Amino acid sequence: MPVTRSPRGGRPTIEGPGFLARADLQFLFDLLREDGRRLIGPTVADGAIIYDDISSVDELPRGWGDEQSPGRYRLRRRGDEQLFGYVVGPTAWKKWTFPALIPLTRSSHDGHKVSFEPEQTPPPKLAFLGVRACEIAALAVQDRVLIGSEFIDPDYMVRRANVMVVAVQCTTSASTCFCTSMGTGPEVTQGYDLLLTELDAGFLVDAGTPAGRLLLDRLPLRAASSAEQYGVAATVAAVRARIGDPIPADGLHDRLLAQLDHPRWAQVAERCITCGNCTLACPTCFCTTLSQTTDMSGLTALASRSWDSCFSPGFAKVAGGSFRARPRDRYRQWLTHKFATWWDQFGTSGCVGCGRCITWCPVGIDVRDELNAIAPPVPLSPESRLVEPVAATPNDFVTARVVNTKAETADTTTLTLTGVDPAFSHGSTGQFAMVALPGFPPLPISISRFLPDGIELTIRGAGPATKAMCALQLGDQVGLRGPLGNNWPLDRAVGRDLVIVTGGIGLAPLRPVLHAIVADRRRFGDVKLFYGARTPADLLYRDELDRWAKRDGIEVSLTVDRAGPDWAGRVGIVTHLFDQAAWDGTNMIAFVCGPERMMQATSTTLAGRGVSASRIHVTLERHMECGIGLCGHCQMGKYFVCRDGPVFSIAQLGDTFGREGI
Amino acid sequence: MQDHGSLVAVLNSTWFASGLEPGIQTRLAELSRTFTAEAGQELFREGDESEVFGVVIKGRVALRTLVPERGDFTILTVEPGDVYGWSAVVPPYRSTSTAVAIETLEAITFEGPALRAALREDAALAQALYPRILVAVARRLTATRVQLMDLFAAEEVRSW
Repeated sequence: MPVTRSPRGGRPTIEGPGFLARADLQFLFDLLREDGRRLIGPTVADGAIIYDDISSVDELPRGWGDEQSPGRYRLRRRGDEQLFGYVVGPTAWKKWTFPALIPLTRSSHDGHKVSFEPEQTPPPKLAFLGVRACEIAALAVQDRVLIGSEFIDPDYMVRRANVMVVAVQCTTSASTCFCTSMGTGPEVTQGYDLLLTELDAGFLVDAGTPAGRLLLDRLPLRAASSAEQYGVAATVAAVRARIGDPIPADGLHDRLLAQLDHPRWAQVAERCITCGNCTLACPTCFCTTLSQTTDMSGLTALASRSWDSCFSPGFAKVAGGSFRARPRDRYRQWLTHKFATWWDQFGTSGCVGCGRCITWCPVGIDVRDELNAIAPPVPLSPESRLVEPVAATPNDFVTARVVNTKAETADTTTLTLTGVDPAFSHGSTGQFAMVALPGFPPLPISISRFLPDGIELTIRGAGPATKAMCALQLGDQVGLRGPLGNNWPLDRAVGRDLVIVTGGIGLAPLRPVLHAIVADRRRFGDVKLFYGARTPADLLYRDELDRWAKRDGIEVSLTVDRAGPDWAGRVGIVTHLFDQAAWDGTNMIAFVCGPERMMQATSTTLAGRGVSASRIHVTLERHMECGIGLCGHCQMGKYFVCRDGPVFSIAQLGDTFGREGI
Repeated sequence: MQDHGSLVAVLNSTWFASGLEPGIQTRLAELSRTFTAEAGQELFREGDESEVFGVVIKGRVALRTLVPERGDFTILTVEPGDVYGWSAVVPPYRSTSTAVAIETLEAITFEGPALRAALREDAALAQALYPRILVAVARRLTATRVQLMDLFAAEEVRSW
């Protein structure tokens, strides 16, 4: 039974949300003003819905909505009486919690003495009316930045403490919204004192804090019906569905930081006019600059703090010049800070998905497009997912049966195994298996092909165990544990040029990479394979090399260390295949496998071609007995090669790579 | 016979001669001629007096050495941009390997005695060219060392 209450006096308390008629919203205004608060809320000005001082419900944008798209904002009539039927406009609440200009310090000279007095502005008591979920998240982000660690911004702290937040659920969205991707909305779930959800005839009202509850108890509410409550949930769910998930955020931090050399930075900088509008409209941007104003005598001065923008030409300037002289540097700084390095500094994203930077960009740059172009989401594909190994512990093995053997070279054989646990066929490029025969030590062998019902292992008979494996016949069984280790970061190669440099048996762990590329060739840019072997007779997978070159659009270059007169190909070292080449490695990722000396020389040569250390990946060979980081043999610096590798970037390995005796 | 201008352009397309001063390039062009060879044609023989220094423009030259009872081995191939016949400018001017075109070859060549005379007489030419020759020979030397390591052998070759 709904309980109707008058605006004053003792009343029964309503559990859960109450219903406030639209005509009664002025009561809330009056209560907040009685409480000594200035009311800041939405109002129509200059063709937009901005936030400003308001005192009456009549100043709210009744019946107004908006249309937003990159570089475009227009008001439009909704054709109803909604007061909050719009999406966020150009104003951010930081205008009051973190004003664009505040006096900071007054300083003066008195003879030889100098003095500095902090300038303190008494903070106004404010009520923010109409705060959206993304904006609550933005306040929380600035809380974290400005008062969330050892050093705090005292001005922000007092201003923030004096704000009461009256939030509003979003019942509509703009084409520029992406709170869903940033995990900040559209549902308001926290960070409010009072929460309003607008319905046809009024509002659902709920309290989030004791202060909000006190206010709620003084409003003329009736209990909300379950139909009203259900309707609200359905409306907000519809908003969520409409926004979708424009920026798949999983892994965005790493994906973005891996793309510091992407050509798109230069392309977007062709459009960006570095005006800084995005940073001014952004509700979380917090960079500031100091300016000094002196009197005519120069004896007293006032230091003021104002918003600054990392797009300003002078933002990163020192006496010798600017560290970010080019627009592309400044755009990259802004985007990587918002979406990546902010996490490292503050444990949160710097973006809340409000879309202001998109709407208010005068040239219509859409961060969602830029992120998706620079650091595209990678669909989960078999090659980027690691499965749980079977027989993980060293006392356990599953068996597999040899169904084919192929002599690749005089000393190297490829075994096709079937009857294998399905985990193996779902293994990932670069992974290995511990392979055992009774009486021999189990050995780590790279998986050289993944088949629907089995795997292939390419084994060089170098010692007693490997020679015994190479001698296996059809129908013989082997013991297996795995698949173990990590994989080649093929997901990072999507949309890039890929260079594969390998020598000798090193082609075996890279063969599944080539299979994966061939299976989905269009996802990758230019693919170059440079392969060196001891002699022409030592080249592995000759038929496949031919097919990759002739059919699959892979540029295959071969070289051998020595050859007879019947070899018309190249003779020389593998790095000479590309050390004088004309190509540019700045959009390239490299996978390298071979003897360690060869990998060192290769990474040095690749670095000289513009491939950065974080984009050069090698697979290391170390003595391994357990394959799971327990036996200790394969330790290399801070890594266990079997468990943390075998694939590492040169940047990860740092100066342990190639260092003698590690 | 090509004119000097087009020879300069061709030389400029090779890493060996690109970026040399225009005067030096013209001087080189005056000393050079274009040369073609069919696949299989021998360019010089190990131990013979070196008569030609060449820059490969197109094709491939195999440098071979004869190992008694094992036959001819290709120890290196010279690819476009790189040089062959460096012994034509380094005493005792004897070829250190046998060179065979294994693909149809286009090259720019210099007569050994004329090039040596020019390098003796023209200090600017010598100053410009010797560092390039040194880079070419050093690159070959380091490659040879890596090949000597026999990195892809089944067993690592132990130092002795």
